[in-house]
Amino acid sequence: MARGADFAEVYAERTDFTAVTLEEDKVKSAQNGLSQGVGVRVISGARVGYAYSDDLDEEALLRAARTAAFIAQGKGSDQSFNVSRTPLPTFYRLDQHLSTIDVARKRDLVVRANKAARAYDKRIKQVSATYADSTKRILVANTTGHLAEDTQDMCRISTSVVAEGKGGERRTGSFGGGGRVAFTHFDTFTPEQVAKEAARQAIAGLGAAEAQAGQQTVVLAPGWSGILLHEAVGHGLEADFIRKGTSLFAGKLGEKVASDLVTVIDDGTMANARGSLNVDDEGNPAQFKVLIERGELKGYMFDSLNAKLMNQKSTGSGRRESFKHLPLPRMTNTYLAPGESTPEEILKSVDSGVYCANFGGGQVDITNGNFVFEVSEAYEIKKGKLAKPLKGVTLIGVGPEALKKVSMVGNDPKPDPGMGTCGKDGQSVPVGVGLPTLRIDDMTVGGTKVGGKR
Amino acid sequence: MNYEQLAKKIVQKCLKRGAKQAEAFLQVGRSADVRVRDGEIEDLTQATSKGVGIRVFVKNRQGFVWTSDFDPHALDQLIDRAIAIAEMSAPNPLNGLPTAADLGKIPNVGELFDPRVAELPDDWKIKAAVEMEKVVRAHDSRIKTIDSVGAGESVSDVYLASSAGMHGSYQGTSVYLYASPVATDGTQLQTSYWYDAKRFFEDLDSPENVAKKAAARAVRLLGAKKVKSQKVPVIFDPTMAAGFVGSVAAAASGDAVFKKSTFLASKLNAKIAPVNVSIIDDGVRKRGLATSPFDGEGVPTRRTPIVENGVLKAFLYDAFTARKAKTKTTGNASRGYQSLPHIGFNNLLMEPGTKSPEEIIKEIPNGLYVTAMLGRGANMVTGEYSRGANGLWIENGELKQPVQEITVAGNMNDMLQQLDAIGSDLTFHGSTGAPTIRFKELTVSGE
Repeated sequence: MARGADFAEVYAERTDFTAVTLEEDKVKSAQNGLSQGVGVRVISGARVGYAYSDDLDEEALLRAARTAAFIAQGKGSDQSFNVSRTPLPTFYRLDQHLSTIDVARKRDLVVRANKAARAYDKRIKQVSATYADSTKRILVANTTGHLAEDTQDMCRISTSVVAEGKGGERRTGSFGGGGRVAFTHFDTFTPEQVAKEAARQAIAGLGAAEAQAGQQTVVLAPGWSGILLHEAVGHGLEADFIRKGTSLFAGKLGEKVASDLVTVIDDGTMANARGSLNVDDEGNPAQFKVLIERGELKGYMFDSLNAKLMNQKSTGSGRRESFKHLPLPRMTNTYLAPGESTPEEILKSVDSGVYCANFGGGQVDITNGNFVFEVSEAYEIKKGKLAKPLKGVTLIGVGPEALKKVSMVGNDPKPDPGMGTCGKDGQSVPVGVGLPTLRIDDMTVGGTKVGGKR
Repeated sequence: MNYEQLAKKIVQKCLKRGAKQAEAFLQVGRSADVRVRDGEIEDLTQATSKGVGIRVFVKNRQGFVWTSDFDPHALDQLIDRAIAIAEMSAPNPLNGLPTAADLGKIPNVGELFDPRVAELPDDWKIKAAVEMEKVVRAHDSRIKTIDSVGAGESVSDVYLASSAGMHGSYQGTSVYLYASPVATDGTQLQTSYWYDAKRFFEDLDSPENVAKKAAARAVRLLGAKKVKSQKVPVIFDPTMAAGFVGSVAAAASGDAVFKKSTFLASKLNAKIAPVNVSIIDDGVRKRGLATSPFDGEGVPTRRTPIVENGVLKAFLYDAFTARKAKTKTTGNASRGYQSLPHIGFNNLLMEPGTKSPEEIIKEIPNGLYVTAMLGRGANMVTGEYSRGANGLWIENGELKQPVQEITVAGNMNDMLQQLDAIGSDLTFHGSTGAPTIRFKELTVSGE
């Protein structure tokens, strides 16, 4: 502040990591890691200076502060700032932090997953299983007098399998889940369930046919398919893209951007969800936000810098991967509100199309709105019923156009099992997604087969 | 602090506390990055970082810990933790460090460190970024905003010590420029991304060139439309071709081969592509961004032809997977201090051909020229390839209508066989280089 900056902030973090991996019937490694450091951010007008270090001594911190303050070129004064703590609700209090749980219990989960996957079907030839957790402690203090601390535990188990069918055909399956949950979560969300689901997907894909390329009606299964929403609209509603005018949703507040059936919510306050936060990485409380209501664009997601530059308020969306990164406006748990159709009605309504049961990753270009997502388990729909499995299916669309083609929304809302990680500007943060069964008309399905009968 | 000594000391301590074998992989670095907007600094980031990954083997069991805290007392505790945690993993006689024979002699890879980059003043980065923004905006009136424009550099040191007798270190620099402008015609927004990254300042493209390429690539996509689904010849520009080369190399991972989880598993010494296709992993390429004297386990790097004249010649290995497959490591153990060694690439390239990119386009009456892609796309196990694509439609040998919201799909086995033209324009984008390539026929999905 001695250089006349408007705002300064210190973010300190210590994270303990544990991971156990199993491959080829053997626990390959168990590992522990520790990451700690401090990031100092200084803002002067729209200019941001950031310096971080994993040295925690006073000299290193002052050096970081001077470096960050390079961007401020005025005259100010050395001052003290009183900071105070605001009491916060908690959405994920754990009786025992994950870092303190015996590693042997974590190892047992992957051993059980391996066993269950192999027992599912003798055509399962390869199994890998991973358990990973982190216990992250953060402290944020800034010159507006705000101080916040939080401890954020998170864990996940995942299993990937390869099944081998006739003629050497190979199909993959993967499943996993967790969240900001206690270790006892795996008493009910068992490694056996996880492994069986991964194995089921791989076996179900054996004998899959080539998918028809072109426009088709698609039905999305509930849950993890919420990444469609995350890609198709979520990123485009992040305030940095809006302020810079690089998102196709910029300047469209109050406009119709989706079908009447579409209400999109980003909620950082869901109990124990992967994307939930008591406070974001700028110390602001997480919020429940309606982004799109009955098709109308209602709001964007703000961190404090973009909020200030746009005369808005932070929505508790300022997140960073670690002390090594500047906060960015990000999603937390993003889902589509349920509609009125039953899943059976939705499937029955489709004469010919594609049912997307499980999904790989997705990506969006927020500027032209093009998004893709990979469908890892898909079936042909014929006269309202599931027919043969399809391989190599990718969906592609332009965000608002795809959402305008949403013609039926299920009454079966479902969050994903807790396995999502979102990347932006080289920073990965955990997120949640959710979706009820959904029908979208005229989606472009990427496949390898052209022409022929639909 | 003498990091070389520290790495050795850590190894000695591990052995003293009961490890049969031990290895310390230590990284120290600093970096700086500047982005500008409207002729002013948007943000300036400066960082110093360090960390060590410690691998121990106790009774053929592997334990791994890592930390950024070099306090001697904390390190002692962590070493005990490594030995204790090794008990959690299964004993495997194939576990262990590379042997003395694997370690061999460290090659002379030339200079990796440029003092000019290490001492690059913030002023230079700010000026370069401001110039790029100016050039981008001046290039075309339809460029209305930028996503980001910036410049930066980093200096990183690696120190490795192990009980197998390995101790070594190297220091490298990198410097980069990037620009991502946004163009609009009033109804549509289009963006692009262009960058250059080099170890040496004098190898770096000029800010003006980076900005011009970025601007041209964004503007030419304006008015993009969907096309009808069809099977046509498809050309990947060098940046997209580099992505394809990366997918082929990933499928040549010795680990995936051993697990039969790659479509290339049974193809060693088979002709998988036309005779003019060669793909090389080159760890010793002079001034290469990924050039280093040794890999993440201390094994000397080298030049490994993966595909040579169309024939699949080699898979890539680290020490552990090589032992499993009863072969030798190829010096492809990749890692940071926070991860165990795993199979990765050094500099990766597809050898250039003889045709100019213009000729390759000119020969096509109806086809697609791809300049940007979305999604991971490639399934290594099955070889299925399907990605979202943006680019330009080719009509009678000329780049015409911009296209978007389509996918290109094929099977990588077929795609390799279908490579019917390789350009002379080998372009390195970071540590992977490729020329323009053409596939005889892929499926384009659209309307």
